[in-house]
Amino acid sequence: MIGIILRRLAQLPIILLVIYTITLTLAWAIPGNPLENPEGRQPPPEVIEQMKRQYNLDSYPRFYWSYLESVTGVAYARDTLNGSIAEAHEQAELAGTAPPTRYVFDFGPSLQYDDWNINEIIADSLPVSVALGSAAIVIALIIGLAAGIVGAVKPNSLADLATLTVALVGISLPTFVIGTVLLLVFSVLLGLFPVAEWGARGAVLPAFTLSLPFAAYIARLTRMSMIECFGADYIRTARAKGVAESRVVLKHALKNAFLPVLSYLGPAAAWAMTGSFVVERVFTVPGMGQHFVDGVQNKDLFLIMGVVLIFATLLILFNLAVDVLYRWVDPRIA
Amino acid sequence: MARVLTPLILMVALLAVAMLSDRPSPPADFAFANGADINTLDPQRMSWMPDLRVGRLLHEGLVKHDVLSASFDVVPAVAESWTVSDDGRTYTFVFRDDAKWSNGERVTPDDFRYSWRRGMLPDLASDYFKLFTYVEGARAFYDWRAEQLGKMNTPEAEFASGSELWAETVRRFDETVALRALDDRTLEITLERRVPYFLDVCAFTVLAPVYPPLVEQYEKPDATSGRLLRRPGWTKPGRLITNGSFMLADWRFKREVRLEANPHYWDRASLAIDSISIPSIPDPNSEVLAYQTGAVDWVADVTAGYRGDMIADKLAFRAEHAEEVERLRAEGLDEFEIDRRLPDDPRKDVHAPSAFGTYFWNFNCQERLPDGRDNPFSDARVRRAFAMVVDKRTIVENVRRLGEPTAGSLIPPGSIGGYTTPEGLPNVGDAKTPAEAERIVADARALLAEAGYPDPSKFPITVELVFNKDSGHDLIAQTIAKNWQQHLGVPVSLSQKELKVYRDDLKNKRFITSRAGWYGDYGDPTTFLNLSKTGDGNNDRGYSNPEYDALLEQAAVEPDPAQRLRILAEAERLIMERDVPMIPIFHYAHVMMFDPQKVTGISSHPRMKQYASLVDVLGDGKGPDVPRTMHGGDSVGGAGFQPAPGVSEAGSERPLESRPRQGTPSESPE
Repeated sequence: MIGIILRRLAQLPIILLVIYTITLTLAWAIPGNPLENPEGRQPPPEVIEQMKRQYNLDSYPRFYWSYLESVTGVAYARDTLNGSIAEAHEQAELAGTAPPTRYVFDFGPSLQYDDWNINEIIADSLPVSVALGSAAIVIALIIGLAAGIVGAVKPNSLADLATLTVALVGISLPTFVIGTVLLLVFSVLLGLFPVAEWGARGAVLPAFTLSLPFAAYIARLTRMSMIECFGADYIRTARAKGVAESRVVLKHALKNAFLPVLSYLGPAAAWAMTGSFVVERVFTVPGMGQHFVDGVQNKDLFLIMGVVLIFATLLILFNLAVDVLYRWVDPRIA
Repeated sequence: MARVLTPLILMVALLAVAMLSDRPSPPADFAFANGADINTLDPQRMSWMPDLRVGRLLHEGLVKHDVLSASFDVVPAVAESWTVSDDGRTYTFVFRDDAKWSNGERVTPDDFRYSWRRGMLPDLASDYFKLFTYVEGARAFYDWRAEQLGKMNTPEAEFASGSELWAETVRRFDETVALRALDDRTLEITLERRVPYFLDVCAFTVLAPVYPPLVEQYEKPDATSGRLLRRPGWTKPGRLITNGSFMLADWRFKREVRLEANPHYWDRASLAIDSISIPSIPDPNSEVLAYQTGAVDWVADVTAGYRGDMIADKLAFRAEHAEEVERLRAEGLDEFEIDRRLPDDPRKDVHAPSAFGTYFWNFNCQERLPDGRDNPFSDARVRRAFAMVVDKRTIVENVRRLGEPTAGSLIPPGSIGGYTTPEGLPNVGDAKTPAEAERIVADARALLAEAGYPDPSKFPITVELVFNKDSGHDLIAQTIAKNWQQHLGVPVSLSQKELKVYRDDLKNKRFITSRAGWYGDYGDPTTFLNLSKTGDGNNDRGYSNPEYDALLEQAAVEPDPAQRLRILAEAERLIMERDVPMIPIFHYAHVMMFDPQKVTGISSHPRMKQYASLVDVLGDGKGPDVPRTMHGGDSVGGAGFQPAPGVSEAGSERPLESRPRQGTPSESPE
């Protein structure tokens, strides 16, 4: 088991490097210049040249290496060793102010939001997305498993058809429709939840909305594999032994039927946690999903790279976690 | 099953930890939705509305506007008084003793010199750097620096290192730019030439000071390129030091900006609220919902798609109380105060005062069309004929439905103190009777005939209407096309373009007629009239009339302000009633939401500059809790003018370039 984890962790940097290269190449290819402000007045060409040089935006290979150095912490280590960080601290102390912040893993400045570093942006939005995403996954599991089990126990019954219909609606209705309706009913009409406020209460509606497509998919998965399990010999044996039906369903059948759900949970969790642009927008959630879209729209190269790298890391780690859990739940695989 | 449940429980725990660490902040005295996220809190880098709305609470310039005065007076801020030399070029500002930074230090003339130098540096790429170039020597300083930066590290470089270039830059600024600190309370500014609206410009937040000891830490010249390297960070809570009425208590990215009253502010006593919360609400519909659930008290810029219906409801509400509205209007009350006195009703919370901008339709005025054919629109008579038959009323009432006033002129009436806008051409939409409408159409056809087109169906070209998609421009274009077809009988065609292509076509004059719009940048007629100056960068129409240029030139050298405004009105009359390079269609309205019975201190002046620091939440026990209504004010703000008791200040640029960058489907003025 530990061998697996170590091997997978060793692969992580290589996968990330590939993702880094591909993303940077694609982001670099977005037409237009990230320093150009299409809506505003343009800085003079000399200044654009200078700024491009400062950020290494004038040369792909130079940007590739310098950015790689700063995100991996190599640049920080170098500046610590050659003393330039200590020097900045001294200067600040002399002037009586706090020194400018240096990050070990520096994702660079935002080209669109002048006052922010990508590190600050991610530090602010990632916890929000993780909270929202995990809440959504938990809700999805509860709803999905319950609906799936109900459907599998009595296939083609009214309850089964009802859960299937709900699942279908959950998958097909866009979240901005569900989200807006929920917002109108529960926040505006009933006043149960706040609007445009992030917190435990403010998270309920967005988490529920975000969970629906996942819940629907989990319900379908559970139902299908449960029905399959019910046909298996060991279930017939259990029933023949006179094991209570609830125990048969929850202990014997669900245990095996849960495996496909588990393998789905890894990517689903990563997906839910990096947020959904639409849900975030409708409910005014200050999460990370919006940065994917904003970054590309504003050609904010550093922001694109930052969020993609974080997302990729999460995705890989969650998949690893699922693999580990899988082996733990199902000893046959190990 | 325990094995299955374990991950579940782990996730719940993770969730709980994440949630508990993140509680929403307690409610502030006043909360408003700002339309979109803030890009920067650095005053010299600001250019768009949401930034400026917060910026003017944090930063305070030499002077400010009394936004609650009908004449939009310039009143003292950091400077308690000022004098202007006879030639109108030298301004001497005397600083008030108690103008303080939020750390208690005094605001000095040198702080302004430092901050204005930032604005004049090409390195900073301030969107509004042109405002700084009114100062004598500033333009030359900017050009010199830009040139040197371009030459660095090339064979032509005049300086061996970035530090040398920077030292020379500082020296040059001190010697050649006419910003002088006469003592620690007096700042003397000499302008390149007379700028009659310079005080108005000084009230703009971009010219407000930053705290040099702080900013210097984050902006340092690069040793090799000489360029000023900017590091973000100084605008963050705990670091930012400002001199405005409020200071930054918290700023969480795309979540919330929170301001608290600045204890060192010289006019602290005038503030009726102690804290302001500005949650970030990117979705226009959510902004309205946030208002309806009480999460915010004011939506500064309503852009939800259904705002037209909200305004229709408001008009219906007003109609139900028509008599009382008339009576209150007769008392001379402003619209917000009238709303306050009407019976309680949620419909009245929507407001659409007119803004400092105009929607118009361009004619290409050049001799030849882009394809080389003769351009019939180079003849002013043809343009007049086309302008008269555009049914502006239908566009306003049936297409836009935002309660905007139809426009006869380019400059919104009443927006500039002491200026009288011309009436403009007769318009078919304004006709009281069908007979009058017919007469206007007949006049228009006669004009066409006079210009050599007696049979408009044989008009030499198909009149193309160019517009960008989105924002409902297509419907306006259709209406205009129909008017031209129906009343004049000329062949028309519609051409919808992507925004970028449309802008490109306009700049290169590749159109016959096209939609356009303009928001004034500063409180002077020239902010609109310069659009028609020969060779102006924004003269997309290619209009050129020496007579018009001469009038503008004459106004530029006229020392008497009243006479100058008369000359400018003459110039506007020339382009609105005779030459008509563009057809003004309506003046923009600015839609906002607040409960007039609860919130007071919002300005209804067309310049639409708002100071949230003026707000008094009625009945909250803080401040005087009496309505702050619009008042007459001086017609021309002068030295020593004292603000009315209990009123601090305000001002409003709806800066031309300050459109929402993305996500907010609102009007794009240009």
